[in-house]
Amino acid sequence: MAANIQHPFEPPSSASSESDDGDVCLDDREIFLADELCEDAEHYRRSDVVTPTPQSPRPPSTGSQKSPRSRRQRTTSMSQSSKKTSAESILRSKTRTIYTAGRPPWYNSAGQQVEPFVIGICGGSASGKTTVATKIIESLNVPWVTLLSMDSFYKVLNEKQHELAARNEYNFDHPDAFDFELLKTTLQRLKEGRMIEVPIYNFVTHRRESRTKTMYGANVIIFEGILTFYNVDVLKLCDMKVFVDTDADVRLARRLRRDISQRGRDLEGVLKQYSKHVQPAFYYYIAPLMVHADIIVPRGGDNEVAIELIVQHIHTQLQLRGFKLREKLAHSYIGQPLPSSLYLLPDTPQIKGLHTFIRNKETYRDEFIFYSKRLIRLVIEYALSLLPFEDVTVETPQGVLYGGKRGATNKICGVSILRAGETMEQAVRDVCKDIRIGKILIQTNQQTGEPELYYLRLPKDIKDYRVILMDATVATGAAAIMAIRVLLDHDVAEENVLLASLLMAESGVHSIAYAFPRVKIVTSALDPEINEKFYVLPGIGNFGDRYFGTEPSDD
Amino acid sequence: MGSTDTTTKLLIDSHEIEEYGTNLKILPCNNQVKELQTILRDKNTTRSDFKFYADRLIRLVIEESLNQLPFTKCVVTTPTGAKYKGLKYQKGNCGVSIVRSGEAMEQGLRDCCRSIRIGKILVESDADTHEARVVYAKFPDDISERKVLLMYPIMSTGNTVIKAIAVLKEHNVLEENIILSNLFCTPIAAKSLVTAFPKMKILTSEIHTVAPNHFGQKYFGTD
Repeated sequence: MAANIQHPFEPPSSASSESDDGDVCLDDREIFLADELCEDAEHYRRSDVVTPTPQSPRPPSTGSQKSPRSRRQRTTSMSQSSKKTSAESILRSKTRTIYTAGRPPWYNSAGQQVEPFVIGICGGSASGKTTVATKIIESLNVPWVTLLSMDSFYKVLNEKQHELAARNEYNFDHPDAFDFELLKTTLQRLKEGRMIEVPIYNFVTHRRESRTKTMYGANVIIFEGILTFYNVDVLKLCDMKVFVDTDADVRLARRLRRDISQRGRDLEGVLKQYSKHVQPAFYYYIAPLMVHADIIVPRGGDNEVAIELIVQHIHTQLQLRGFKLREKLAHSYIGQPLPSSLYLLPDTPQIKGLHTFIRNKETYRDEFIFYSKRLIRLVIEYALSLLPFEDVTVETPQGVLYGGKRGATNKICGVSILRAGETMEQAVRDVCKDIRIGKILIQTNQQTGEPELYYLRLPKDIKDYRVILMDATVATGAAAIMAIRVLLDHDVAEENVLLASLLMAESGVHSIAYAFPRVKIVTSALDPEINEKFYVLPGIGNFGDRYFGTEPSDD
Repeated sequence: MGSTDTTTKLLIDSHEIEEYGTNLKILPCNNQVKELQTILRDKNTTRSDFKFYADRLIRLVIEESLNQLPFTKCVVTTPTGAKYKGLKYQKGNCGVSIVRSGEAMEQGLRDCCRSIRIGKILVESDADTHEARVVYAKFPDDISERKVLLMYPIMSTGNTVIKAIAVLKEHNVLEENIILSNLFCTPIAAKSLVTAFPKMKILTSEIHTVAPNHFGQKYFGTD
């Protein structure tokens, strides 16, 4: 596979083995394309593009998605590995995080996943599969594409096989070399929009590394490898099947060039492996898979016409699944009774007084911050009271027993929706000692009005936690729904999510409750309307701007 | 307030408090508040946890006490240009803490009212007679004009607080201008306070026959 070419840093020994696929041991299998280069203005944040440093393969951020920016000019071909971005949703240079354009919604207005479009690309070793994949991605203009390679799914070799591999005698081109079970479950989960851990196969040790690479579902998933159509179940997951058919001479020539000049192997070894494994496997296993293909692309990545056709088809498919969430969210549910999952703080004079301070546009920022904090604390205290408790009896220093309550779980974490939700973090820390706090950055795309996911960082085992999701205000609920969707994609149980806000609009509450009826919704005030700019009325204004002092100067 | 069989006799339920009149209020109880009370009652609670959770409960009690203050309606304009019908509190409040455990509640008050004036009263019991007597008091000059939030976390007999209120009255503070903020109260103390000062407002988080008298020592670490 062409893919290999791209990696400059191939693990040495891996080279010995077979096909190109092998090389991919690093994480790059996932490409994310686009992001690297965009310079669009609106995406301020990304300054220069740093290549996603290969050396830090699993950068911290959990988000793996990458979002390609649509109109970016790609200055280099994807296949240079240096250019490839790693799988993170955010690119990390040594000290900085570079934000890519955010990920738009990948679910419908009911909060349910919309299935991604899965493209399977099959073809012989060095046929140009990765090049084709890359070109599709480049011309797609779709923000979120995930590239999954079969190379991640080689089986772990035992001692003996390992020795064979060292002598170029292990057959990496045979179907038995792949763990199709794992591949199937992984692709299935990806298709369901779940977060997955993709194994990182080490071609030196022929084992899976203990670390894995995190990937997410995307609007489009491209799955490539020499035997992608081999397993029936896997084949069924593909919405479109592409076979890259490149002349055998060309493939051999590419292999020779790659293995010898890039991996320092000798001609004899390469030829031996080619004739013993690569070539027979192609004729026995790979070539027959061509019958499954919807499209056969001769000459691989050079075939512009074929790629163009494929891209058009994908576009059509994606449009069928399109959405315009926010607009829809803002106008539903008018006049319906409030959902039972809504918990409104008792309407006390203090709470009303605090709201009076923070809603007043004349309030200075120091007072705004101070009173916001007081209100936030009350909201958080109230939210905690909704968590499960159990009865306990304790002994008192006075010698009597006291029947009380204790929280039924200490696995509680906070997740704030940046930026405004971050203002609530301190209150959570003030009431829960040592609580873990995750963050999700969601911003509204000014052009489409849709929320976009830019960044997320969550506790690793978040699925075991009760999550207090924090955002200062909820208008249409679009950002909250996206955040909840993210949590569910990380296997957090819906009933374990509690959304806490200072102020919500009724329509947002309805939308969230409709999409996620088991999520508890806590707020200190409920406003009836949303204006055309999606601000709550009467509202607070832009809470984040007022709290952090970043209001536009004309205000 | 839920409670187990062993303690129902000890704990006064919210529906039973009518006998104390309408000026005594109990912090609305929920599981969270109950958990805080449980931790403070538990003799196995570490000191650091004790202080942490005491501060949380204090904050809730203070917030609720502030709800007893008078307010007036007002209308403000929000940044979106819309009107919000809110309310505002009058100026002219102050806090008074009874040394020493009442001081534990000062920070909670400060966290809610940044620059509020705080007076202090030191009441000691005579070692022999157990008679409470005031040995120190310092208030804002114009305390007679102000609403006073009197802070004392534990009341078992109520004698200390009764003394303190007497001092406030000597300074011409009106009884109806006093709000007593308290965490744990016994039925005896509640009864004697509402009898002695029927116009004073009292806010507590729990009425229970056994007072957690270890509060001050554990909070300040002097046990």
